[in-house]
Amino acid sequence: MATRVEQLPYGIGRFSTRLYLLLAVLLVLVGWGIFAYSREFVEGLAMTGLRNIGTMGGATWGLYVSFVIYFVGVSFAGITMAALIRLFRLDHLRPLSRMAEALTVIALVLAAFTILLDLGQPLRGVINLFRYARPQSPFFGTFTLVISGYLFASLIYLYLDGRRDAALLARQPGPLRGFYRLWAAGYRDTPAERTRHERVSFWLAIAIVPLLVTAHSTLGFVFGIQSGRPGWFSTLQAPGFVVMAGVSGIGLLLVIAAVMRVVLAEREQLHEGIFRWLGTLLLLLILAYLYFMVVEVLTTTYAGHHHEVRISLSLLTGQFAWLFWGAVAALVLAVIVLLLPYLPPGLRARVPATRPRWALVFGAAALVPASLVALQGLNLLTVLSAGARSLLAWLAVALALLCFLLLLPHLSRNVVAAAATAGILVNVAAIGKRLLIVVPSQTHGTLLPYGDGTYTPTWVEVSIVIGLFALGTLLYTLFFKVFPIMEVHAAEEGAQ
Amino acid sequence: MARYAMVIDLDRCTGCRACMQACKVENNTPMANFWMYVFRFEEGEYPNTHVWFMPRPCMHCDNAPCAKVCPVGARYKRVDGLVATDWDRCIGCRYCEVACPYGVNYFNWKKPSKNYYLDWQDEDVVQVTGGAVPPYRNPDLDAPYGEEHRRTAGGGRLKGVIEKCTFCVHRVERGLKPACVENCPLFALHFGDLDDPNSTVAQLLRRKPSFRLLEELGTEPRVYYIGGHPPSTESRQIEEVKARV
Repeated sequence: MATRVEQLPYGIGRFSTRLYLLLAVLLVLVGWGIFAYSREFVEGLAMTGLRNIGTMGGATWGLYVSFVIYFVGVSFAGITMAALIRLFRLDHLRPLSRMAEALTVIALVLAAFTILLDLGQPLRGVINLFRYARPQSPFFGTFTLVISGYLFASLIYLYLDGRRDAALLARQPGPLRGFYRLWAAGYRDTPAERTRHERVSFWLAIAIVPLLVTAHSTLGFVFGIQSGRPGWFSTLQAPGFVVMAGVSGIGLLLVIAAVMRVVLAEREQLHEGIFRWLGTLLLLLILAYLYFMVVEVLTTTYAGHHHEVRISLSLLTGQFAWLFWGAVAALVLAVIVLLLPYLPPGLRARVPATRPRWALVFGAAALVPASLVALQGLNLLTVLSAGARSLLAWLAVALALLCFLLLLPHLSRNVVAAAATAGILVNVAAIGKRLLIVVPSQTHGTLLPYGDGTYTPTWVEVSIVIGLFALGTLLYTLFFKVFPIMEVHAAEEGAQ
Repeated sequence: MARYAMVIDLDRCTGCRACMQACKVENNTPMANFWMYVFRFEEGEYPNTHVWFMPRPCMHCDNAPCAKVCPVGARYKRVDGLVATDWDRCIGCRYCEVACPYGVNYFNWKKPSKNYYLDWQDEDVVQVTGGAVPPYRNPDLDAPYGEEHRRTAGGGRLKGVIEKCTFCVHRVERGLKPACVENCPLFALHFGDLDDPNSTVAQLLRRKPSFRLLEELGTEPRVYYIGGHPPSTESRQIEEVKARV
């Protein structure tokens, strides 16, 4: 019993060598990102690939804005879990609740950072956005509803949701005891307190739910109500943002849950039912999004004026075709993976058993030509000819497809791996689609005959985005090393 | 109150781009920032081609999409119709730029003093200029303008803010015409008060049919074109300006 009391649940406070290594790598990446930003801060946004629309033939919003939308989209996970668990009483999803809330909070912090990175005068931005705020600007909703309201509500929900666990953990001696006491703030887990907490969380969940639609819609409106930008000006923009937010948010949550399941060896708490349930929800959202996409492309190519057609063609066959079809392929492959649990049992029995090892070898092999092509695309490598480049690109595609096909039999038997794979695929697609929303309307959507523009991110932008991801992972890892990532076991409660 | 407007006579324009030059000198704009830009268009197939020119300043729209979206009110519509940019308040989010259908906004991607056509830090240049950057900096641009007393005149201010055509607010408030209008050798550009029936712009618009660019968007531009037609899908730009930052 004595040893049991000292061990906090879910590996809290236990830092292995591997974890230190991970943290060190993440810190180096964050440091690299900060260095890249220091270049941008000193030299100005000339260090990025962004340029003026029109005579300069560029895009003035690029990678940063795409990732603002992506991060806000990912934050969808928290509200969804709160809503599903509290309002629809889906208690079996409860183990994901805190993971999702932490994901929401960290994603929103990253989004706020990214907005500041994109500003030409970030220090002014911090002051003037509050001092001279104008409700008429679509950005107002981003700052009030998304960054302030949503972040604040999520923080409170995370806090309330964790108070009971903090109170339980504060009973054990340990270096973090003071922190847990502070979090519990006098909460002692009496039945009366518990019911009061349940009630407050329920109403808070109800209060957050309208944000599910409004917060993600405001970001859609930033683009959707600009009549001067063909490709953006569409009523489908706001609903499309809500659905895509759901796709990327739930996708990332599935990946995190799968990682936690392996790292913490919590197979009972994070049981397969969770992955099957959320996988199906993800599947439905992807199908809805694909439907939106088809509607949009049909409308703009069939009935749109020539500016709309010009943008659609740049997506379907032009400059952005690789990204567009890549994103579509990722979504379709995710649908296939998520449909695997619905294979008839007779058919599944006939699928040959394969080890995923070869698939992973091919997957890793695909990364080599893909990264070469990417480096060439970013103008960091200039030895490849155009022909060699497309050859390498197709080689990467072929290897990736081979990897996927070899992985399929394994995925058809392993729900968790299937859900995580789909999660990764939809997030790749989400990033691609975000870029496709932001950039082509600027480079190919000028209403005056300026001619086509181009946009290529520079090493500064790419480094900063990688640094942001590293920062997010770092914060997430540290959070679940000081606080239980799931509710404390009922068994441990009894042990107290 | 005056209701300022510009009338551009496409029949008279020869595409000499003197207006672009005048604007640069007057407003000290950095490299590749063209507050006034002259399109040189070509239409038709050889040998039946037609070349024409279209100056494009800021349209100073009455229903300005850029002013609508500005999150801090740095871009605003003045009572006399000028659409002004307060560089002292701009945070550099570039929302005005993506909202503008005409592409008239220019961002200072780097420090303007490092982005002029001449390297002002060059030793030989310093001997002549005595270190002033740029030496011809227009002192009129530094005063606050309008009833609001806001810093809206001129360009080349700071890195990381948006700038655009001001209709030369510093000249207009002194009763002068914008630099581009004053410098047009063929009187293709006209500027004046629409409420004054004797002004050139009011007379021209009474006499001749006119159009405004992308009128269908409902932006209500204050720049009118006479003696020509709007660019169509047939209009190809002859020489495009390339980005130089």
